[in-house]
Amino acid sequence: MYYQPGEATAYESMRYLTTKVPFGWLMRSVHCWSAHLMIISLVAHMFSTMMLKAYRPPRELTWVTGYIMFALTLGFGFSGYLLPWNKLAFFATSVGTDLVKSVPVAGDWLLHVLRGGPDVTANTLYRFFALHVVILPLLFVGLIGIHLLFVQRQGMAPPIGQKVAPRGMKFFPSFALRDLLLWLFCFMILLVLAVFLPYGPGIPGMEWELGEKANPLEPAFPGIKPEWYFLWEYQLLKEFPPHLLGLEGPQLCLLVVTLLLGIWAIIPWLDRQAARNEPSPSFSDFGWGAIVFLTFLTLKAWDIGGLQPVDSPASIKVISRTCAWWTLGLGAVIVAVRWVVYKHRWFIFTGAALLHVALHGLLGLSYLTAGAIAGLLAVIAVVTRVLAARRVKATVGASP
Amino acid sequence: MRSETDQKPTRRSFLDLLLGVSVVAWLGSVLYPVFRYLKPLPQSGPVGPTRLTATELTKLEKDGFVIVPFSGKRVLVVQNAAHQLLALDAKCTHEGCTVQYLAGESVIWCACHNARFDLDGRVLSGPPPRPLPRYTAERQEDGGVVIVGERTSA
Repeated sequence: MYYQPGEATAYESMRYLTTKVPFGWLMRSVHCWSAHLMIISLVAHMFSTMMLKAYRPPRELTWVTGYIMFALTLGFGFSGYLLPWNKLAFFATSVGTDLVKSVPVAGDWLLHVLRGGPDVTANTLYRFFALHVVILPLLFVGLIGIHLLFVQRQGMAPPIGQKVAPRGMKFFPSFALRDLLLWLFCFMILLVLAVFLPYGPGIPGMEWELGEKANPLEPAFPGIKPEWYFLWEYQLLKEFPPHLLGLEGPQLCLLVVTLLLGIWAIIPWLDRQAARNEPSPSFSDFGWGAIVFLTFLTLKAWDIGGLQPVDSPASIKVISRTCAWWTLGLGAVIVAVRWVVYKHRWFIFTGAALLHVALHGLLGLSYLTAGAIAGLLAVIAVVTRVLAARRVKATVGASP
Repeated sequence: MRSETDQKPTRRSFLDLLLGVSVVAWLGSVLYPVFRYLKPLPQSGPVGPTRLTATELTKLEKDGFVIVPFSGKRVLVVQNAAHQLLALDAKCTHEGCTVQYLAGESVIWCACHNARFDLDGRVLSGPPPRPLPRYTAERQEDGGVVIVGERTSA
């Protein structure tokens, strides 16, 4: 309606929209809040699917389509971020797109394709605009159709060990009216947030003041951070040394992230217990371990507890310690609730994630050394447990 | 066990081969233009020695550094405490952010992931895997500054 992509027009049209157009500020605020709330909702949806094992057969492809849609949503966030062409947008896109150069063989080609040249320029803006308003929406609409078709054909996943629950009410009007009520409730929350906090809640990575126009000939400003949902990866990039295991730091970081995300994508095929409709405590614990892992990195990226100057070695040490205490506190609550309320007894992955945090934040080991020790101990614990379970099974099988 | 006739090329296996080759060729002819279309042509612009403008010179005097375009790249020109001129690639070798000169510490700093380089471009701390490439900058008799080109050796 008002936005004009281009080096001389993008920022200017956004400024016009927010300062001159009647209720332009509100439309932008609703757009930004919706984007953040959508990601929050998807994270909650994905983790609830994970914990309830709703991905088990025959719903593996529902998980995969959801996974791809989550990736597309992050793509929406990333491509939309550049469009105002302000300083933050410029550097966030420079860093985010630069990471693809670490992809073996096709890295350079991908970088040029994404940016429309070797650097972030107006060409990148045109490409990201096309992605944001045409390519990603088309892909998303197709995938959401498939996702909903699966849900419609297969119904909701019942809890583990239970049969499919019978449908309780008619879709129309009973269910439709309930849905409408929930929709209205969410819409009102969105409006209240958009009206009273038009530039976001002021949390780093969750604010959208237009700020100053991008200038490729100016340096990145101190305290620059990406959106909150990319903070963990931003922090992980900082934790890798220049070189390790014959690879450059960013290459190894990309490899580790790809492996972790790859495991997350194929969970329905890895979780054999859930596939047999049996409880799979190890996979629940894997989900909780992931939450601990992401929380610590995100808190650290927020420089919680940092001294001035925030980037000094002394400050970084204090940040690591403070964030470790916060994460360990959260971890203790999670473990206690799971132990007492849900009677969980499988804590290897959560334990390893918490040990990683403690070794790094409290004992001062480097992030990667602490991670390697915790990871190794987790592997030993899992192997021991699996072998013990097999031995018990064999004994039970052998006894008359 | 396979009989001798199984290993001999038959009319069917030849047609299968022909079909396979045709499919690959067809896919190639469809996909190659798409891949080629997506990658943009290299941009042509001024190359060779570049003289700093009056605005850039004022910024250099005022801030101790300025970032200027040079042969399609961004170059950081620094004037250190001893009034020596130094020029380095302004793109951090970690994730491509634009670096800056911190006069107080006499280092080059990247704000994105807290990387520090010395004035010769060597990594002092932080995650960058390579030093910053260096350029040659010269002060002219009239007080102007010219970036001559990239240095090939340290």
